[in-house]
Amino acid sequence: MSRVAKIEQQPVATGTTLVVMVGLGVTFLLFMAFLNVVKSGNLLNDSNLLYAALIFYSGAGTLYLAFGITGVPAYIRYASLATWAGLIANTGAVARRWYEAGHPPFASIYEMLLMFVWTLAALTLVAEKKFGVKVIGTVTMPVAIVGVVLMQLLRTEVHPLVPALQSTWLHVHVTLAMLAYAACALSFALAMMFLIQDKMKTETFLAATSVFTIATYLGVLTRFEKWGGLSLIAWNPQEKSEVFISRGVRLFVVIPDLGWLLLLVLAAAAAPLVLYLLYRKTNDSRWLNTANRAVFLSILLQVMALAFFVLRARDGRYASLDAEGLFPTSLAASPFILSGLVGAIFVSLLYLLLLWRREDLQRMLPSADELDRVTYKTIAIAFPLLTLMIAAGAYWANRTWGSYWSWDPKETWAAITWLVYAGYLHMRITRGWRGRRAAYFAILGFAIVMFTFFGVTYLLPGMHAYA
Amino acid sequence: MGSTAQSLPRKIWQTLAAIKTGVILLILVVILSAAGTVILQRPATDADEMQRAYSPQVLRLLDALKLTDVFHAWWFVLLLSLVSLSIIAASVQRFPNAWRFFSRPYKSPDESFRKALPGHVLIPITDEEVALSAAERVLQKAGFGPERIVRENSFSLFGERHRPSEMAVYIVHASLLLIFLGGIVDALYGWRGFVTLTRGQQSSQVVPQNGPVHNLSFAVRCDAAGQDNYADGSPKKWWSDLSVLKDGQVVLRKQIVVNEPLVYNGVRFYQASYGQTGKLDKLVLTATPRDGQGSKDIAIGPDETLSLDDDTTVRLAEFIPDYVVSDGQVYARSKDLENPAAHLVVTSKKTGAAVNFWLPAIPGLEQNASSPYFFQGKDLKMSYFTGLEVSHEPGQWAVWAGVLLMGLGLALVFYVVHKRIWAVPVRDARGRLMLWVGGTANKNKDAFEHSFRELVEAIEFELKVSVHAGAEAPVAVLAGK
Repeated sequence: MSRVAKIEQQPVATGTTLVVMVGLGVTFLLFMAFLNVVKSGNLLNDSNLLYAALIFYSGAGTLYLAFGITGVPAYIRYASLATWAGLIANTGAVARRWYEAGHPPFASIYEMLLMFVWTLAALTLVAEKKFGVKVIGTVTMPVAIVGVVLMQLLRTEVHPLVPALQSTWLHVHVTLAMLAYAACALSFALAMMFLIQDKMKTETFLAATSVFTIATYLGVLTRFEKWGGLSLIAWNPQEKSEVFISRGVRLFVVIPDLGWLLLLVLAAAAAPLVLYLLYRKTNDSRWLNTANRAVFLSILLQVMALAFFVLRARDGRYASLDAEGLFPTSLAASPFILSGLVGAIFVSLLYLLLLWRREDLQRMLPSADELDRVTYKTIAIAFPLLTLMIAAGAYWANRTWGSYWSWDPKETWAAITWLVYAGYLHMRITRGWRGRRAAYFAILGFAIVMFTFFGVTYLLPGMHAYA
Repeated sequence: MGSTAQSLPRKIWQTLAAIKTGVILLILVVILSAAGTVILQRPATDADEMQRAYSPQVLRLLDALKLTDVFHAWWFVLLLSLVSLSIIAASVQRFPNAWRFFSRPYKSPDESFRKALPGHVLIPITDEEVALSAAERVLQKAGFGPERIVRENSFSLFGERHRPSEMAVYIVHASLLLIFLGGIVDALYGWRGFVTLTRGQQSSQVVPQNGPVHNLSFAVRCDAAGQDNYADGSPKKWWSDLSVLKDGQVVLRKQIVVNEPLVYNGVRFYQASYGQTGKLDKLVLTATPRDGQGSKDIAIGPDETLSLDDDTTVRLAEFIPDYVVSDGQVYARSKDLENPAAHLVVTSKKTGAAVNFWLPAIPGLEQNASSPYFFQGKDLKMSYFTGLEVSHEPGQWAVWAGVLLMGLGLALVFYVVHKRIWAVPVRDARGRLMLWVGGTANKNKDAFEHSFRELVEAIEFELKVSVHAGAEAPVAVLAGK
């Protein structure tokens, strides 16, 4: 079978699954939105505006996806319109929030996410118009959607600014951070586009993705699985710390049945690898097609497992094998499981993106060289912004705490992000790194940005408590 | 010069200057600082929590490896020094070349250079002088500042823009070193500490987290301090009115708030905390004589003695914010204002008799019934302290200078392109007269290709005009296009 024929056939086979998945997602969102409006009564409060933005962004994401599958150019235009609509709703939410709080919305991670998503959507439109990267939304819109969904999980009430946050430098610092992070997100999206455009074999990635997911779940299961349940560290919500039985010995609680679900996911994650090996052995591309479908199934199950894990770990009290009584646990008590599950989904989704390579999609995208250059250009914008962001933060800290650098985790991770991008620039400029390697680097850089943004706030202790 | 001839210091220098070394060092910095954010760090985490979080063996190991205080460990300092050295070595090694390139630009391209340059074109011309002046006009207009280069056997044209961009990388690296320098100066000569003042109190001693007390050459006095709240009761603002005293004279007054420190003599005072001392400032009481006639309000501070009438005085002997009675004794349970008690001593000058008046009446201690005055509590004014973080960072100016320099350097690195254009009249293989035009940019080459094409087109257009002009009209009229 010729290569072209295979490319033509592949997305059609996987497309239906995708559309069903996305359709279900959007229906769910609309249902939730309906509930939300009914509950709040007020149509134009910021959570409803945000919901509108979420729906438009999801619509845009779906249309971008649909274009990726069918190649109908009209979808792109509608997707672009949906992004505009989402941006307008998002602007409304920002304005509403600003008006309610009486200060620019930079004071909590919720407000910062709001700004981040706004900047990302705006940059997506800029990239479409200015760089001609029409399908960039396929990557940036899911990131925006995740951002808005995360906001729904976070506290939304407006807090007055505590004294330390009443500073112009804070606004400078946060504005720069959001611009820099959004530019990083854009460079990541462009790097993904590059990988789609670049003539590379997706099969190797299938194996790598599968192995990564299997390793993650094996790691989690061998460490935490107990009699079909999942054994997690108990959490004391008052003291915001883990519960200890004695020095260095933590108390574990067991969430029943979650272990079985993770085992099921492990099996689903192993299936693509097995099918891929069969394909390698028989060289029959039907195995490969089945393997690709198995990836979708595995992602579906992974999302389900994550949802169950998050829901059950957030609320509820569970029994322990070592102590009497019921104890709560928390996502904060299981940072490694949480980041493992999210990481595996993220990696699988990246593979999914690579599958959409089609000749008509390739025609819609700028050439690989052009994408490579534009990726570099966005990083050339992001890096000075990161530098200024750190500098403004240091200046603010110096005015507030009397120290411009105190190795706080957030500071340290901002420095790490800066170093990683500095590494990218050095490799590119002095070693002439181009193309694939540079694209991987850009993806790694964005992963670290995301960790700095979310991971540090939720997983690591420190004084950047409000953000 | 074989590699065997290299001496050891030279080898070390070469290794340090290599980009590979730099990248490996950066990776190490990344890994170790990440470790420093995952492992709980002393002294930010108190010893108790450290012991709870890690088992004794693990904690001992972490402590031995200094992984519990990564950012102050000797090996981390060593690593940062190596990074600095690597930046210096790499810069020093590459600088002479770059400087030569910068200070003596290559203006007259020879034949091999002309062949090797990727971006060049050949334009057929009839006259060398006409062609060069046409190119000169175009480059002048495009801001390249062209100059005629005359050599023994050739003459040509050279124009360029934004040459300083070639030095940008060194500016960025120098700025990073400047920031490091500031950090090192602060680590060696800087200090931080804390001063707690109540209203009217002054101090010239700063208590650091560890190490000896720091004596200032001046004193700082708190004239007033307070907290403003939002409507919902959460704090909006903490402020302190501070005076700096030198030899008993007030030399500076300033109200500080959280983001607005007082700076004197390189020492900065920050509003860090504000709270109750648990001590009383003034107790407001209503004093009523035995006969019930002419009651009045008095405000009395700890150990203060007030006259109630010609004969009677009252002294506030004790104030307990949270009292508890045990075995007929009064004890303070805490410093919080939970359950206050006041002990007043009412004395008669004439008889010298002293009566213990307790508020509230504590059985066994109070003699309230025999007091010439009755007292009723009206208001409590507690004394508040203001906590000032004090820091001396002599190196911070190097840091800020470094930051500004880095901003400048990065702007040059990313957004300012050094472009060079040469134009040389040459004869091609068949002996025809041509104008060789070549150009190069140090970055953003695709955009340069575009602008280079435009320049060449402009030169071609200008040439046509000049040739035409030579036959029919004066050049000056048409030169403006």
